[in-house]
Amino acid sequence: MTGATELHTEEKREITLRVHRFNPQVDSKPYFDDYTIQVEKGITVLRSLNYIKEHVDASVSFRAFCQAGICGSCGMRINGISKLACTTQVWDELSKCKEPGVIKIEPLRNMPLIKDLIVDMDPLVDKMKHYSNWIVSSMPEPEMGQKEFLVSEEEFQKYEKATDCILCASCVSECTILRAHKEYVSPAVLLKSYRMNVDSRDAIHDTRLGELVKDHGVWDCTHCYRCQETCVKHIPIMEAIHGIREDAIEVRGAKDTSGAKHAEAFMEDIEKKGKLVEATLPIRTNGMAWTLQNLLPMAMKMIMKRRTPPPPLLVKPIKGIKKFREMFREMTEHVKAEQKSHKK
Amino acid sequence: MKRYAYYLSCINESMTKEVDRSIDLWQKDLGIEMVKLHESTCCGGSNLDYVSPRHFALVNGRNIALAEKLGLDLIVSCNTCLMTIRTAKKKLDESPELRKEVNDLLKKEGLEYKGTSNVRHLLWVLADDVGFEAIRAKVKVPLKNYRIAPFYGCHILRPSTVLGKDDPLEPSSLDMLIEALGGTTLPYEHKNRCCGFHTLLVAEEESLNVAAEALQEAIDIKADFIVTPCPLCHTVLDGYQAKALKQANVHSSIPVFHLSEMVGLALGYTEKQLGIKRHIVS
Repeated sequence: MTGATELHTEEKREITLRVHRFNPQVDSKPYFDDYTIQVEKGITVLRSLNYIKEHVDASVSFRAFCQAGICGSCGMRINGISKLACTTQVWDELSKCKEPGVIKIEPLRNMPLIKDLIVDMDPLVDKMKHYSNWIVSSMPEPEMGQKEFLVSEEEFQKYEKATDCILCASCVSECTILRAHKEYVSPAVLLKSYRMNVDSRDAIHDTRLGELVKDHGVWDCTHCYRCQETCVKHIPIMEAIHGIREDAIEVRGAKDTSGAKHAEAFMEDIEKKGKLVEATLPIRTNGMAWTLQNLLPMAMKMIMKRRTPPPPLLVKPIKGIKKFREMFREMTEHVKAEQKSHKK
Repeated sequence: MKRYAYYLSCINESMTKEVDRSIDLWQKDLGIEMVKLHESTCCGGSNLDYVSPRHFALVNGRNIALAEKLGLDLIVSCNTCLMTIRTAKKKLDESPELRKEVNDLLKKEGLEYKGTSNVRHLLWVLADDVGFEAIRAKVKVPLKNYRIAPFYGCHILRPSTVLGKDDPLEPSSLDMLIEALGGTTLPYEHKNRCCGFHTLLVAEEESLNVAAEALQEAIDIKADFIVTPCPLCHTVLDGYQAKALKQANVHSSIPVFHLSEMVGLALGYTEKQLGIKRHIVS
């Protein structure tokens, strides 16, 4: 890879930004414009775009503001990955180009396109509103201004990382389920909901949680970890999503939704057999009627290929299940005892 | 002969039996031996960790401790089991309190989680321990007529803080294995995307949309088959293929092979021996 080494030792070179263009008032479909410019090492993608706008083509449209990775305005896809243009070095991108020296710049995905690199953030804002992602104070009105809210360090640690979110929507752009269904709550919204729901000053935890467990909510996440992997602030978004689920099962019970029932089945089966009883998983998640209607044709094909999971009675428990169960149940006692002491 | 402890994944014990069957066939050919852990339990399938984080640590601390007792690395051939057990390992390694609680319980079985065994995917063993050159030398029936779409799946790549073998944006180990077996690996945009498995029972329409996109691309690039290192991805891409493509209004189909079957084919085993005939899409 001598080429790559050379790139890194050069101080100045010619590069091309291949920029997504679309003006709905004139264009019938999107296209790309190539802008070839001289850049110095140390220049960011945003500064290159600014240079193009100032010196080459003033019609290129994008959002940007702080130029320091704080405001979250300049989220865009650079060489296919959603990130901030202001914190992305041109030099770092050169090794990732499909075509040597050509950096592809596209708008974020999963949001309606307004023009060139600008997407409509309103659907995201609407979802933030839908899930009431702000604190509604639990302090009675007359006490406000008279009393302080004390937040323990332990509590703050639960949402410290979540407060780093700058709403750049990179995670939204990369989300698998949002791509499959535009009504899905989306990772940034779940992160914010988690942050509000673990805050002891908030008064609408249960209402918010009630909304989160509905269709297109927290149970529809498919654990692909793309959001977390893309997050420009390295926030463990999946931990927040799992946090909401854990809370939902604890507060609303394991029989609340198909998502909760599905998750709880793992716990039941592990305790009983040490392994999953897959044959009844669809029934336990969604009931008999759903299973017959949705899975019967496929079950027939699977029977023909001898691919069906064995019925519960034929699922042999793991070797040493008795001792295992003892340990598992003792852990259950530990957890219960701790929950009790928490409630006190 | 290098020995490993082999984790029995629930799905490979029930729906995708062909995975372990094919590994049994060729392991000795490649100088490796998988010692099956019949005492191991379900990892919790990326669900137990939020249903009960401490049971999650206990169950998987125990799974790893079983391998440690034999002094062997724990090898997994399901992506989600891999990610799940590695997540538990990370939590146990980082928290002395959690480790103590788990070990106090494991004592009953004469087990102890020490953190000495690594948890790795079968693909990583082939890539790093056996090596592509050694594999190339063992090939009897090169896959030279096949154009193959490598579908890595999520949990062998992400979160990279837990997995860390392949670059999640540009994974390469499966591509290199395909080449070592004499096949042609195709540029496949969905290679590092999701199959939709984990929401199949909760948000079926969404899951099938996700699967259909991956299938459609493989059909469009004229792949002969998709190969995956994960039996869960296989279950969606093969088992649910007809349903997914019908929902997407695509009138075509594409076979999906397990990594272990693809290796078996190149080492000279027949489709029947490898269990390929058990697939829904032929």
